[in-house]
Amino acid sequence: MSKYLIRRLIMILPVIIGVSLVVFFMVRAIPGDPAQALAGERADEETVAMIRARFGLDQPLPVQYWVFISNALQGDLGRSTRTRRPVAAEIAEMFPNTIKLATAAMAVAVVVGVSAGILSAVKKDTWVDNLSMFIALFGVSMPVFWLGLMLMLVFSVRLNWLPTAGMGTWAHFILPAITLGMSSAAIMARMTRSSMLEVLRQDYIRTARSKGLAEFRIVNKHALKNALIPVVTVLGLQFGTLLGGSVLTETVFAWPGIGRMMVESIMARDYPVVQGAVLTVSLTFIVMNLIVDVLYVYLDPAIKYD
Amino acid sequence: MRRVGWLFLAVLLVLSMGSSVAARDTLIIAQGTDAVTLDAHHSTDSPTSTVTEHISETLFELTPEGEIVPLLADSFDVSEDGLVWDLHLKQGIQFHDGTPFNAEAVKYNIDRILDPDESVTFRFLLTEIIETEVVDEYTVRFVTEKPFAPILAHLTHTSISMQSPSAIEDYGEDYGDIVSIGTGPFEFSEWRRGSEVTLVRNENYWGEQPAYERLVFQAVPEGGARMMMVQSGDADVAVRVPPHDIERLEADQDVDIVMTPSLRTIYVAFNVTMEPFTDPLVRQAVNHAVDKEAIVEFILGGVGQPVDAPVAPDVFGHEPIKKYEYDPDRAMELLAEAGFEDGFETKLYSPSGRYMQDIQIAEAIQSMLADVNIDAEIVTLEWSTYLDVTGLPQEESEAPMLMLGWGTVTGDADYGLYALFHTSEHVPDGSNRSFYSNERVDQLLDEARTNPDEDFRREAYLEAMSLIMEEAPWLFLHVERQVTAVRSDVHGLVVHPAERLQAAGVTFE
Repeated sequence: MSKYLIRRLIMILPVIIGVSLVVFFMVRAIPGDPAQALAGERADEETVAMIRARFGLDQPLPVQYWVFISNALQGDLGRSTRTRRPVAAEIAEMFPNTIKLATAAMAVAVVVGVSAGILSAVKKDTWVDNLSMFIALFGVSMPVFWLGLMLMLVFSVRLNWLPTAGMGTWAHFILPAITLGMSSAAIMARMTRSSMLEVLRQDYIRTARSKGLAEFRIVNKHALKNALIPVVTVLGLQFGTLLGGSVLTETVFAWPGIGRMMVESIMARDYPVVQGAVLTVSLTFIVMNLIVDVLYVYLDPAIKYD
Repeated sequence: MRRVGWLFLAVLLVLSMGSSVAARDTLIIAQGTDAVTLDAHHSTDSPTSTVTEHISETLFELTPEGEIVPLLADSFDVSEDGLVWDLHLKQGIQFHDGTPFNAEAVKYNIDRILDPDESVTFRFLLTEIIETEVVDEYTVRFVTEKPFAPILAHLTHTSISMQSPSAIEDYGEDYGDIVSIGTGPFEFSEWRRGSEVTLVRNENYWGEQPAYERLVFQAVPEGGARMMMVQSGDADVAVRVPPHDIERLEADQDVDIVMTPSLRTIYVAFNVTMEPFTDPLVRQAVNHAVDKEAIVEFILGGVGQPVDAPVAPDVFGHEPIKKYEYDPDRAMELLAEAGFEDGFETKLYSPSGRYMQDIQIAEAIQSMLADVNIDAEIVTLEWSTYLDVTGLPQEESEAPMLMLGWGTVTGDADYGLYALFHTSEHVPDGSNRSFYSNERVDQLLDEARTNPDEDFRREAYLEAMSLIMEEAPWLFLHVERQVTAVRSDVHGLVVHPAERLQAAGVTFE
């Protein structure tokens, strides 16, 4: 196990260098550059050249890459061309906000999705089942923009119960978490339902039933645990999706997250920020994957590495 | 369970009521983006300038009416030859950190902006100044190489604000990030990145004190969400009302819609070095073929006005010159005269989402051109790519027609004409993307730039603009109007034509 871990940890370095190469050259392959984006309609050559020089963009690409990667490995991601702040500081401020939002959305997805899935499975083929599966279908297909604005219109403008947008109190979490978590909740509901139905058909459940156990106890105590194994797997994947998919929700709800920051940086051709943010997010993914793989060993004794 | 639910609701209600009642010592403005920096010298966009101009001030101010009046300056003298400008400063003003505002401070700021290593985007506004001297404590002297008439207009630009020299020295690269020190009516308090900037009243302000304590700028990118914040009372002001929301907001008793002119002109530049736009007749024909009134009325919802000159009406030097009336028959005649009775094929480049309804306008132009047998293919590009492609030098240029906007932010026709029509300003050296070149126009623009006499300048601009309108290097479209949503108990907000908000004089009622 420890050998495996060490191997996996060593593998992180080439992956990160690969990612850095791809992102470094990709952002530069897009037409336009930070100087031009800053100068806007009035991008005269002198101004553009001055700004390029300031951020070292007049250097040959290999030199620029070397400066970037050697600094990055020491934890220095450079300064934003747009805000002139250290990139690391920008990320340290925005990334936690996205993680918080994704976690809240995950909570919505689990609570709503799993309960709806169980209910559907237990009441299979009744109107309860049909209704919750219809809502689930609706949940996956609803555009985030529309859902977010509708929730805002009802709960903030009409009822005036919740803040419209921005980040501040716990109440600010509710609408964006629902908006972001809705499609995951729907996926979770469908997963739970089918997995639950599968488990409910198995012999040990029939045995439990024949022992005369109450249905509630059978579902919650005996079936749920086994039914949730595939759900947990999806959960890990969904969290990644939520982190990456938070851009729209962050935009609608004015949430200061890393997704919005990345989009704005790409628009402004803010190379250092795009590079730094992509590196950070990739690193998070790699580490999360590693954790999930390691967890499998504990969850399912049949899996062994080495 | 039910009781808990009610309790929850009750708590929510109390919370939400609490927030809207307590907000009266605070003004909240929702803008489309967060401030990019709080270093006024490095501000390049309206939302950032709107924040910084409440913290630091300029030497002169461009009033919403288009007049240039002293702000931190008190008066000025200019030498006979127009090369030496002595500015006398207001006395007894201090920066928020206690540093005295004096000629030294002005010199420090001007030198910093002109320092190429500092790479200030709007440095070009001051490059005519070859020397800044401290004459005495409250007199500063600017020396220019050639007479430069629009200098005072340039000094009104928000990026030429006066900031505390000691703060800039002390904080170095972190200035504008964790601190921003000026002489303005508000002091910087807190910046929650990507979310909001909070300013507090400057209790020692030299001018009239604001009537409220805190000024908050929130970043809300989505237009619909911004409007709902004003409707729900979570914000007091929201900029850039989407045209389709105007009617809905007008019906809301708690919200007022304020329409103000802008200094931004929207146009389609013809590449006059590219067939068939080398022929002025073709360019005039296109101008007659497009119904600008209809674009303003139906696509912009009335939020704009068709142009009658290359610069907006509030700009110094503007005169209503002419309008190309919508007349497809006349357009056909002109095309026939130019030898294009069967029309031609071309490309219309358009940004998407940069200007109000830009892509919809491009589509409307396309369909109107089709009526006169001009087949225009629309090419849409993301903004930075668009700037890159439309900024190519003449020999590489690929865009026969391209839509752009130009805000004459100094309020002086020099800014609105020189960079766009002078021969020396062809891209990439400047911003003349139509490669227009006319000796007489060049001469007039040069003279108006160097002669400080107002009447002389007005006449020179009138002649230059008449020539430009006649030769039509542009398809002249419209001047945008700014639409702002304001809570109806908010009074005294100034929506400046340079697309900034001035909130120091706001009162609640």
